[in-house]
Amino acid sequence: MFVQKDRKLGVADGKRQYDLPLNRDEGSGFLILLIALMTFLAVLALSASFVLRTMGDRWSSGLENKLTIEVPAESANETHDGIVISNENVKSLTQEIAEKIRHHPAVKSADILSDSEIQDLISPWLGEDVSLIDVPMPGLISVQLQVTTPETLHALEKAARDISPTARLDTHETWLNDLLRFTGAMQFAALIITLIIGATTFTAVAGAIRSRMAVHKDEVELLHLMGAKDDYITSQFQRHALTLTLQGCVVGVLGAGIVMVLIGLISGDTGGALIPDFRLGIVHMIALFLLPVAACGISALTARHTVLRVLAGMP
Amino acid sequence: MIKFENVGLRYGIGPEVLSDISFALEPGSFHFLTGPSGAGKTSLMNLIYLGRRPTRGLVTMFGQSINDLDRRKLTPIRQRIGVVFQDFRLMNHLSTFDNVALPLRILGRPETEIQNNVNELLEWVGLGGKTNVLPPTMSGGEQQRIAIARAVIARPRLLLADEPTGNLDDDIGFRLMNLFDQLNRMGTTIVIATHNQAVIDKLGHPRMVLEGGRLNIESTAQKNWIQKKIQGVF
Ligand SMILES: Nc1ncnc2c1ncn2[C@@H]1O[C@H](COP(=O)(O)OP(=O)(O)O)[C@@H](O)[C@H]1O
Ligand SMILES: [Mg+2]
Repeated sequence: MFVQKDRKLGVADGKRQYDLPLNRDEGSGFLILLIALMTFLAVLALSASFVLRTMGDRWSSGLENKLTIEVPAESANETHDGIVISNENVKSLTQEIAEKIRHHPAVKSADILSDSEIQDLISPWLGEDVSLIDVPMPGLISVQLQVTTPETLHALEKAARDISPTARLDTHETWLNDLLRFTGAMQFAALIITLIIGATTFTAVAGAIRSRMAVHKDEVELLHLMGAKDDYITSQFQRHALTLTLQGCVVGVLGAGIVMVLIGLISGDTGGALIPDFRLGIVHMIALFLLPVAACGISALTARHTVLRVLAGMP
Repeated sequence: MIKFENVGLRYGIGPEVLSDISFALEPGSFHFLTGPSGAGKTSLMNLIYLGRRPTRGLVTMFGQSINDLDRRKLTPIRQRIGVVFQDFRLMNHLSTFDNVALPLRILGRPETEIQNNVNELLEWVGLGGKTNVLPPTMSGGEQQRIAIARAVIARPRLLLADEPTGNLDDDIGFRLMNLFDQLNRMGTTIVIATHNQAVIDKLGHPRMVLEGGRLNIESTAQKNWIQKKIQGVF
C-alpha cells in the first residue's frame, strides 16, 4: 500500500502529498473513463438538441405565412379523356390564378415559379441530368400572405378552383407540424439523455467518494480528532473529485469535438436546404463549454455532500 | 480545566467499562494513569480527547461543558489537545516530516514555520536523518517517536499519551519523559497512561488508578505523604 512505482521503497518523494492517500486509490482510472464517456455522450446529445432546434426554427420561420398553389399538368387527364394539357395551357391558367389572387387584400405577393426554378426544386429527387423538356410541368405559384387565416385560405382556394378545378393549395402546415413535432421529440429525448447522463455521473462520483471515505475512515477520523475543520477534510475529497472529473471531461469533450468535426465534414457535403449545417452558434458553444464546468461543479458538490454526511456521524 | 462528573461509558449494549468517573485536572498538572490491562485507560483517554462521547455524566473541557455542544464547536477544543495513541495511528503514505507537520497544517501555519519547527523537533527526538522515510519501514520505537513528536509539535494545552514508552528502550524512554516534563513546566497539562512503575517512581507525579471501572485519584499532597512514608520519614 505504501510502496508505489517511481518511488524509492519507503522514501517519500519531495512532493507534498494529500493528507489522505486519495490519488492512490484503485478505481480512479475507471472513474475518469466513465466520466469521459458520459461527457462525450452529453456533449453529442446536447449538440444534437441544439442542431434540431436551429433546424426547426429555420423551417418554421422560412415557411410561415407562405403557401404554394399548384396547377397540376395532368389536370385534363380525368376531365378531357386523357388529353394532356399542354405546358402553354398550364402556364396561362397559372398566370390567370396569380393575377386574380394578387388582388386579395391578405396577399402580400404571388410569384409564379419559372421552369428553371421548378427544375431546381425537383432535381434533388430526379437528378441534375434529367431533361425536363418532355416532362409535363405543373404550374407553381409561391404566395406570401400578410397573415394566415382559414377564411383567406378558403377564399384563395375557391379563386384558384374557379379557374382550374384541379388546382391545389399547399400550406406546408401539415408536414411542417409533423417535422416540428419530430424535432421537438428528438430534442426532448436529447434532454432526457443528458439528464440521465448527469444522474449517472452523480451516482458514480458519490459511490466512489463513499467507498474512498470507507477505505480511509481511520485517517479521516484521525484528522477530525486532531481538530481539522470539516472544510479541511471535505476540500481534499473535493479536490480529488474535481481532478478526476476534469481529466474525464477533457478526454470526453475532445472526443466529442473530433466526432462533431467529422460529422460537420460529412454533412457539409450534402449542402441541402432542408438540413442546416452541423454548425453551432456562439450560445451553443458557451453551453457546451459550460457542460464540463457543470460536471466539475456537480462532482465537487457531490463529494462535499457525501463527506459531510459521513463526518456528521463522527463524535 | 478538565472536569468529569459521574461519567459512565459503555460500548454498545455491553456492561459499563467506566462507572462514576469523577475528577478534575488543574491547569499545568501532570498525572500518570495506571491500572491493570483492560481497566479502561484507553477508554478514559478516548473520552478526554473527545474521541467518544460518554454514555452518561458531565464533561467540562477548558471551562466549556461539552455535553450539549455541537460537534463543530468541539474543533477548537480538539486543536488544543495533543494525543499519542497507543497504536500511534500514523499516516502510512506520509513521510515522517509530513506526519509530524500534520497538526500545524491543520492549524494553517505558514510553511516556513512548519519547516523550521518540524525539523528541529525531529532532530531532538533523534529522527533528524529520517525526515523523508515512510513510517511502515521504521521500527516500533521510531514510529512511537514520530507519534510523540506529532502530539507535541503544536504545543497543546493538554497532552495525552497512551503507553508512550512501551516500545522504547529505557534510555530514549526517559529522554521523552523529560520532553513531557519540559512541556509541563511550560504550562501543558499532561496525562500519561503507563504500566512502567520505574517511570512513575522516577518522575513522581500523582497517579490516577483505574480499577474495576472506577477511578481513584491521588492528590499531590497524598502523593507526597505516600512517598515520604515509603522513604521512612514518618
Ligand atoms: N471499541 C470497543 N468496543 C467494545 N469494547 C471495547 C472497545 N474498546 C475497549 N473495549 C473494552 O473496554 C474495556 C477497557 O478497555 P481499554 O480501555 O482498552 O483498557 P486499557 O487501555 O486499560 O487496557 C475492555 O474490556 C475492552 O474489551
Ligand atoms: Mg490501553
